[in-house]
Amino acid sequence: MNSLIDKVFANTTKLIAISVLLLVAWIFGVLFEHSLKSIEAFGFSFLTETKWAPNLEKFGALPAIYGSVVSTFLAMILAVPIAIGVAIFLSEIAHAKIKTPIGVSIELLAAIPSVIYGMWGLFYFVPIIRDIFGGVGISMLTAGVVLSIMILPFMAAVTRDAMNTTPDILKESAYALGGTKWDIIKDIIIPYAKAGIIGSFILALGRAIGETMAVTFVMGNVHKISTDLTQPATSIPVTLANEFAEADTELYFSSLFELSLLLLIISFTIISIAKFYFLRRKRIGQ
Amino acid sequence: MATIVDIKEEKALEVKNFEFTYAGADEPNIKKLTMPIAKHNITALIGPSGCGKTTLLRSFNRMHDLYPANRYSGEIIFKDRNILTKNEDLIKLRTQIGMIFQKPTAFPMSIFDNVAYGLRLQGVKNKTELQGRVKKALQDAAIWQEVKDRLGHDANGLSGGQQQRLCIARAIAVEPEVLLFDEPTSALDPISTAGIEELIVGLKERVSIIIVTHNMQQAARVSDYTGFMYLGELVELGRTEELFVTPKERLTEEYITGKFG
Repeated sequence: MNSLIDKVFANTTKLIAISVLLLVAWIFGVLFEHSLKSIEAFGFSFLTETKWAPNLEKFGALPAIYGSVVSTFLAMILAVPIAIGVAIFLSEIAHAKIKTPIGVSIELLAAIPSVIYGMWGLFYFVPIIRDIFGGVGISMLTAGVVLSIMILPFMAAVTRDAMNTTPDILKESAYALGGTKWDIIKDIIIPYAKAGIIGSFILALGRAIGETMAVTFVMGNVHKISTDLTQPATSIPVTLANEFAEADTELYFSSLFELSLLLLIISFTIISIAKFYFLRRKRIGQ
Repeated sequence: MATIVDIKEEKALEVKNFEFTYAGADEPNIKKLTMPIAKHNITALIGPSGCGKTTLLRSFNRMHDLYPANRYSGEIIFKDRNILTKNEDLIKLRTQIGMIFQKPTAFPMSIFDNVAYGLRLQGVKNKTELQGRVKKALQDAAIWQEVKDRLGHDANGLSGGQQQRLCIARAIAVEPEVLLFDEPTSALDPISTAGIEELIVGLKERVSIIIVTHNMQQAARVSDYTGFMYLGELVELGRTEELFVTPKERLTEEYITGKFG
């Protein structure tokens, strides 16, 4: 009897687990099915065409891809050094009394819904960027800044956690050889936690590239490739959020689906790299 | 009062009225302890868990200062000065008093870089000098033959016993005057343990050694002097062969005959 219950239980959980995989496959399937029209119409040129002109039924994804890549890149450049600094402070320098309150507040920041970052960015950062750098303020640069602020708490928290996994005995060994705090941070902690740190960066990158609400407010949805960062631009999620409601032709609709398929593939690839190459726990001293 | 044998040799270290209390604790972990450490000899510290032997060992290189709010008083005399003062240069002190830990602690870098690490911290940059001193340290730690063809490999690829010998090489590369061993073989198999013990005995010509061990046979095998600690106090310090055969204190006798532990 008991073994029967075990079997039923085991099979039920197995079924549920498999259904998750099926769900992912289903999403892929639906996106692919709806993209077919666009894939047939444009083929590979969808990825290289710079014109996005719904009235002419001409759709090229390059401006959106460019915007996604550049805004994410900007966000990473701004966020990485600050995240490392915060993590070093929290794991090695801060006194226990302020370590916990600051650590908890950073985790709380990571929980702020992205739409709030978007609104805040629109009303606070857009004027600042306009005043300092010129342009209308709604721009690639603003998107990068808002994105960097959004991913910063997550990156700092995970980087700190990775640094905290360095065994005390390993740090003590380096101190016992006459190392300073800085020596220990740069020679022991960062190399030891390297894989975890890079993994957290890549996860943050995945989050930034798929982020919709925070950047929709401040990017502008202009399908144009410009090297001037103060110009409005667009990204894949921004395009999707802005244009689905007004996609009135089949090809337009299908092109948006192909964009979303593209985004899914990019995110999937990024997260797989992070999971398989960097976020495997390693152990030392056994 | 503790029974302390008269030490004829020069002293490497002298502990005087040392008292140590961990952060947040009410009772001191070490109480008014006085103990001489003979130069170029091996002194073993034995005693049941919680007796304060590791705490004492970690006081010699001020490891406790890495963590806030530990309190201590008294003196530890090393090279004619009290190393427990505020203005003691801990970086320099730790190059003069090295330490080997309970578990092998190879750094996440190559075998060569592990041994060169302490030297580089001291500013040794010359490549030939580095190579020479790393080789010498590895030879002295009896691991040169095993690693000479793979100095560039990750040190974590070595076995536990090899890693511990690597850690010893790393510690002796900077030519300390005192080496502290904190249960150095507790994570190792018997064969590796024998190798490490042989190595420790061979080192005493060059350095003074203090070894904490929970293994009384090990203390008897390697040390010249043995200190028995109990509840934060030194009960007896004697020449090892005497302490294990004719202990002066009843508590020592009970401990070494296994009546408690």
